Amino acid sequence: MVAIAIDSPDIPWFDVGDPRFSVSSAEVREAREQHWCARTPFGLAVLRYAEVSTLLKDRRLRQGSYAWPAQNGIEEGPLSEWWSEIMLSKEGDDHRRLRKLGNPAFSRTLIERMVPEFQALANELIDGYAADGRCEFVSQFAEPYAARVLCKLLGMDEGRWHDLSTWSTDLGLSFGVTIREDLERIEAALANLYEVSDELIAERREHPGDDVVSSLVQAHDGEEGRLSDIELRAMVSLIIFGGMDTTKNQLGLAMQLFVEHPDQCALLAERPELAANAVEELIRWNPTVMWATRQATEPLELNGMLIPAGTTLHLLSYPANTDPLAVGRGARFDITADRPPHFGFGGGAHHCIGHWLARIDMREALPLIARRMPGPRYDGEPVVRPVSGLTGPVRLPIRFDAEEAP
Amino acid sequence: MRVHVDEATCQHHGQCMIECPEVFQLAGADELRYVPEPDESLRDDVEAAADACPTQSITVT
Repeated sequence: MVAIAIDSPDIPWFDVGDPRFSVSSAEVREAREQHWCARTPFGLAVLRYAEVSTLLKDRRLRQGSYAWPAQNGIEEGPLSEWWSEIMLSKEGDDHRRLRKLGNPAFSRTLIERMVPEFQALANELIDGYAADGRCEFVSQFAEPYAARVLCKLLGMDEGRWHDLSTWSTDLGLSFGVTIREDLERIEAALANLYEVSDELIAERREHPGDDVVSSLVQAHDGEEGRLSDIELRAMVSLIIFGGMDTTKNQLGLAMQLFVEHPDQCALLAERPELAANAVEELIRWNPTVMWATRQATEPLELNGMLIPAGTTLHLLSYPANTDPLAVGRGARFDITADRPPHFGFGGGAHHCIGHWLARIDMREALPLIARRMPGPRYDGEPVVRPVSGLTGPVRLPIRFDAEEAP
Repeated sequence: MRVHVDEATCQHHGQCMIECPEVFQLAGADELRYVPEPDESLRDDVEAAADACPTQSITVT
């Protein structure tokens, strides 16, 4: 086979750095029809299911955002240090050591035990507005639910959820294209998250329990001294950050799908046993994370294309998950559909560590929302965050058929 | 101890290899090699591998 170069003009081109660029645009869908990849000003974008699947798990690629602050001129200071310490930026044995310590805290068995708490929390939040027949879904459900679930997981005071959630959102700005302009706000949030993490670590060292932070502290204090102080703090702050903003956004996006597909919302209300599949399907069609970035650490060949070492690969999980070659042409959001696994939680060594928490807390919340907030429709224009880093609504006024007052 | 991996659901993320490389090794993009009857001394790590698997494809008996 004749080798194809990655700058061949036969490959479609689009600009992933353009503020107007959208992963869910017709431009990207058309490129996906033409080719499995597209050229961009910053490396190659991968568009189809089979190729994204292969590349996400290929150990010859490293996680691509490790140099993001440095690429934006931020080479020292608290954010730069945090970024270099977090698990996401590590590879090989360093990554393996941290991941092995972190994995047990997010075990499916542990999360399943929290189901009654998830249900009680979802009901409590809906009780707050059910009789009104309207709510602002982000501030009255998605944000407190995601943040308080994480407080429960970490054994933190739930009364602090609002501050924690705000700091997590601010720290999330570091993944966006405006990282430089937002630096002051990002570093203030990081300082606050460090303070909370330090308090939590000190408290669990004094009074160990069977929670995530206690197990990390024990890993740190164990005879092998496996987690350093800096690593311990980076891990706890990463868990707080990684678990709040993601689920908050994904719940808002779920509500938007329910508004746009009322039949699916009604179906879930009627058949709550479809909830686990509904979660997979909504992440496929309306995900908060639309792509993962990797970098080739050695030369690769894929479908006859030579990819030099150092090439940045944007693995566009959203177009891949909805690739007609994987889900069939004309497929649409359908909570009963049996489809191949999506890449909404990334994949490979860096597969989202908290996916069971997200999957199970949403599996419990969504059928309650569908049943207790029937017929949801917009009550004013949704305000949506620009597509950069995490996507999702910041304001979502909803009307629904009110429950009868008891 | 016996280990079984459901190849129909395994997606080759390789979390098992992170937990217990003595038993689980990815070989290329679509192949997982594993030791079906590993030594009992590896039980904790093998169970951690089963627990960490994102698709829950590993059974340990």
